Formats: sequence, structure tokens, C-alpha cells
Amino acid sequence: MTKSLGIIVIIESILGLAVFAQPPAPKRDLSGVWAMQRTPEVTVEDTQSPGGEIPALTQWGKARYDLEKPGYGKRAAPGGNDPILQCDPMGFPRILYFPTPFEFIQAPNRVLQMFERDHVVREIWTDGRPLPNDPDPLWYGYSTGKWVDDFTFVVESTGYDDRTWLGAVGYPHSETMRVEERYQRVDRDTINFTLKIEDPQAYAKVWIARPRVFKLRPKAEIRQGYCVASEENSFTKRIREPGALSK
Amino acid sequence: MKKQFTFVFLISASMLVAHHGNTAYDETARVRIKGVVTEFIWTNPHSQIYLDVKDSSGKVVNWGVETNSPGILTRAGWTRRSLKAGDEITIILCPAKNGQPVAYAGSGDPGTKVIFADGRELDFVDKTIQ
Repeated sequence: MTKSLGIIVIIESILGLAVFAQPPAPKRDLSGVWAMQRTPEVTVEDTQSPGGEIPALTQWGKARYDLEKPGYGKRAAPGGNDPILQCDPMGFPRILYFPTPFEFIQAPNRVLQMFERDHVVREIWTDGRPLPNDPDPLWYGYSTGKWVDDFTFVVESTGYDDRTWLGAVGYPHSETMRVEERYQRVDRDTINFTLKIEDPQAYAKVWIARPRVFKLRPKAEIRQGYCVASEENSFTKRIREPGALSK
Repeated sequence: MKKQFTFVFLISASMLVAHHGNTAYDETARVRIKGVVTEFIWTNPHSQIYLDVKDSSGKVVNWGVETNSPGILTRAGWTRRSLKAGDEITIILCPAKNGQPVAYAGSGDPGTKVIFADGRELDFVDKTIQ
């Protein structure tokens, strides 16, 4: 009896592995539509934000932080001055944490990251060039990437326009912020993702983001999700402002 | 034993998805309102549903309901023709905390959905998840 039970358990384990084992990742290839997996530990404080333990702000960082009036999180108040309420660019890395997917498109000298939000295309140069020393600030920065092994793509970036926030709960960055992203494709359908922010002008130490997982979405397509100011203003007048009136 | 398992599963499932997180809405509430659609606006990043709702005194109030972008709605199985003026619907939504006739129903708050008079339902769950 025990023996037959044991055999059944073994057979079930083999069948289970066959059903649940993921196909392996292709080498040096991130092509496809990816969406961030929502997990229970992600809180409102992490809304459209790297999350994790946020380092202490410098004096410069605190002054900028105090000017922000977010619509989410512990400082949330109806209304506010989140740049995206005017359809200003969301910026990076915030767009990565926005709950719409992106697509990786690989070209010979760069990897393109095409986001649904505002149909943003971010170029990640893979031709070996270094990051510029004194780049013009850009909404989505200046990025270079390389494969450190067959399944891990590492992106370094800087030159970010400092008018963008790091998340919906606020938090500033400077133009000299440097971001490191690590996309590790562990099987066909899964990227384990880590990110760190070095911005000594704004933060006392390196900000290590909460690790996230991206899942492949072959059935999803990237739409042209432009934020259109005239439409957003109409929405603000008809729904956002009535919702923000005091009781 | 089976019942217990089902109960635990439901709790875990509800914890899996983060709230929309907008402070204007009471996201702990799920309120059911019934009315007639006056407009369905299919715009980015906020689509909107407007509907005439009769209050308890019989007065008609036009409600505005914020919902998701066309991208998110498309992946949940909606189209720009999913709702049209004149449709009689019920919406399960998160109302504004201040009592104004505005609300949220969308992927950020599980359990929110649209129910048609014939019982057909439209929810906000992404159908492209494998």
C-alpha cells in the first residue's frame, strides 16, 4: 500500500513538472510584450514607483520633495501638482512601474523599449558607446545596455530631466541621477528585474528598488496610449475636481 | 475541509492585487448604482462612463465614473462600443469620499464591474494574462 502510494506520488511529481516547467529562455533575447506582475507586497506607497526602502533625502532633495503635492500615498491630497495631471511626460523609471505593458524590440545597435503610456520609445544603445559626460537632460534619459551573460541585460542611464517624479507618491531626482537596471530572463515567460538609483544630489545613499517580475504577454499588443491634455482637462473638470471638493 | 480551502483562496486572491490608490475614492467600499448610460468616453488615460441615476426621492442625478485607459479596457475585453447612451446598467464602484456623484470602477479595484439588464457582465480583469 505504502509502495503503491509512493509510486503514485512519483508519477504525479513527474506529471506536475511536465505541466508546470517553463520553456527555457532564448539566449540574448528580450523581444516581446512584458507586463509587471502585481504582487501582494506592493503597497500604495509603491504606486508607479521603484518602492523598496527609500533613502534619506539631502537638503536639496527635501526642498524639492516639499514642493510636491501627490495624489497618492501618505501625503496624498485631492488635486495636487503631479506633472502627469497635465499630461507632462511621466519620465523614467516611473513609466516602468505604471500599470501598462511595454515591448522590447531588438535592433542591431540598440534595444528599443516601447511603452504603452504616451507610446514612448526609449533607446538603449548596445553598440558599446559610453554614457555622455554632460548630457542634455531628457525626459527618458540617455541609456546604454549590454549582455553580461546569455540571459542578463544590464542598462545604465543618466541625463534625466528633473521635472519628473520617481512615482505617484512624489519623490524627486536630479539631472545627474544614474539608474542601473538588470533584466534577468530566467525562463521564456519571466524576467526578474532589479533597479538601483544613484543620485547623491537628492539622496543620502543608493536607492535599491523593490525587486519585480515581468511576465511575457504574447496575447497583448501595445496601444497608442497618448495622454492628451485637452481630454485630460475635460476629465479633470468633470470627475477629478468634483471628487476633490471638500465635504 | 473543502470549504475552508475555498475561503482561504478567496482571501489570498483579494490580497494579490494592489488598490488603485487614489485618495479621492473610498476604495474599501463597493457600491452598486443602477442607471441609464448618457455617455461613454473612450479616452486615454481615463475612459469615463456617465449615467443618469434616480436617487431615493426620484430625482435624477448624472454620475461620472472614472475607469481605465482604452489599452487596459481592451485587454479586459472591452471595445469603444461596449456601452452606449440608453443602455440600462448597474455598476459596482468605489464612490467619492466627499459624497459627490463621481466614482471609480476599474482594474485598480477588484470587484468593480458593469452588469447589463440581461445579466451580462463586463469586468476589468486582464484577459491576456496566460
